[in-house]
Amino acid sequence: MQYFLDLLIVGLSIGMVYALVALGISFIYSGLDIVHFAHGEIYMIGAFIGVMLFKYTGMSYPVLLVASMILTGLIGVAIERIFYRRLTRAGGGYTVAGMGMIICGFGMSIVLQNVAYLIWGAKPLPFPVSFGMPLELTDALVLPRSYVWIVGVALVLMVALHLFLKHTRLGLAVRAVAANKEIAYLMGINVPLMISVLFGIGCALAAAAGVLVGPINYVQVLMGIGILIKAFAAAVVGGFGNLPGAVLGGLLVGITESLGAGYLSGSYKDIYAFILLIVVLMVRPAGILGVSVKAKA
Amino acid sequence: MLKIDKLEGGYGSVQILNGVSLAVARGQMVALLGGNGTGKSTLLKAISGLIKPWRGSISFDGERIDGLRPDLIVRRGLVQVTQGKEAYPALTVEENLRLGAHVRKDRAGVRRTLERVYEYFPILADKRRQHSATLSGGQLQMLCIGRGMMSEPKMMLLDEPSAALAPQVVLDIFRIIARICREGMTLLLVEQNVRMALLLAEYGYVIRDGVVHIEGPADRLISDDNVRLSYLGGTVADRDAAMNLRQ
Repeated sequence: MQYFLDLLIVGLSIGMVYALVALGISFIYSGLDIVHFAHGEIYMIGAFIGVMLFKYTGMSYPVLLVASMILTGLIGVAIERIFYRRLTRAGGGYTVAGMGMIICGFGMSIVLQNVAYLIWGAKPLPFPVSFGMPLELTDALVLPRSYVWIVGVALVLMVALHLFLKHTRLGLAVRAVAANKEIAYLMGINVPLMISVLFGIGCALAAAAGVLVGPINYVQVLMGIGILIKAFAAAVVGGFGNLPGAVLGGLLVGITESLGAGYLSGSYKDIYAFILLIVVLMVRPAGILGVSVKAKA
Repeated sequence: MLKIDKLEGGYGSVQILNGVSLAVARGQMVALLGGNGTGKSTLLKAISGLIKPWRGSISFDGERIDGLRPDLIVRRGLVQVTQGKEAYPALTVEENLRLGAHVRKDRAGVRRTLERVYEYFPILADKRRQHSATLSGGQLQMLCIGRGMMSEPKMMLLDEPSAALAPQVVLDIFRIIARICREGMTLLLVEQNVRMALLLAEYGYVIRDGVVHIEGPADRLISDDNVRLSYLGGTVADRDAAMNLRQ
């Protein structure tokens, strides 16, 4: 039982990280029809910016988390404006037609990895944030505070995203743009600006995940590859483009992975997520919360 | 209020508008008539800014608006009321209405306009928390008209408000449009329902092959053979030719 709870806590924490990245991927897809293959690198850059802020500015952890989200979000906005938006012209300026976007995403992923390599080098950097003593829940159950931070921050961000989308004028505009850009224009919404907001939020979520993972792992150039695959699995398990689905999928992938590694074999850790993916797709091809008719953000 | 001069435009290399000119005076309701594929929708898109015209000009309230981004045109007070099917199905009735007020920042004013829209359309007030996907065709059209009113525009472009509605519902919709006009709104009514549109409007334009084919005061157009025939895809000459064939 003790062992099970430990595994569950680890699975839940890493699942929250997957959920944040998956949420960004699903959010961007639901709004812009962009399947963003460079999202893992955005996560990596977010983590590096976090480390740099930690090293050179001495910001406290919550402040540098927010700062990294904002900076990475802006980098994402720039990438989308400069590179991706050109490709949308083929789809009438609103959507992406054909394979161009997928290729461009992969290309961007390689470019960002190499840019990061040139700036920060190949050596993994430590992210030595001190969170204080672990929480002792019971005599036997001890919870490292970094895990509490991961779960807490992820929950806050998810609730904040929900409130933003459902209860603010800007959030309503973002949903309108996600559903139909032409009609959104006729509502007087500045559609190009909202596309930037949408993409920036997606990237900021990935940056938060990177900064949250940093302290329990090293920060390194290739860290985006593994998470991208897991986050895609999570997004697809939950129903691609469905936001609550992305969170659910992330948690399921994290917990499956942790329990599998704990009870079956640790060396096959990366396989369990995909077994879960295959099983879910066999039973529900559109994902757990996915519907066959595309319902958007 | 709205003046369009020799407007040309289209999609890609396909020219749809071949030099349309029309004018709408302040407080006036003008009907824009034409069958399918005559360029009505393209003209509307050009006025709203969704496509950039190639040549010619559009001015609104004394200023050029052709080539402006659509949201900036809405900010100037020119709003397109979409067909009912263009409501956001996944959003609630009230969210749809609030979207219409996106350009306004005065919360109290928006609430007042919202109450006014609910007074026009009591059925929308009853269904304010429902997703608009659950509304009937007539209710969706009311929602879109209400959504257009939310920004308190100076002028509204109505895109076939009677499309795909039952005759009784069409009457309700036109009654509301007449009321909006009486209360001082400037309207350009794009319609396929020729008779109804000409009974309401003061002036009418019939568009065909991307140009204004016939224009005139509504009461004169309504009895004009050419107008009726334009809809059947012919002209008086065609009719005469047909008559000759029969003999």
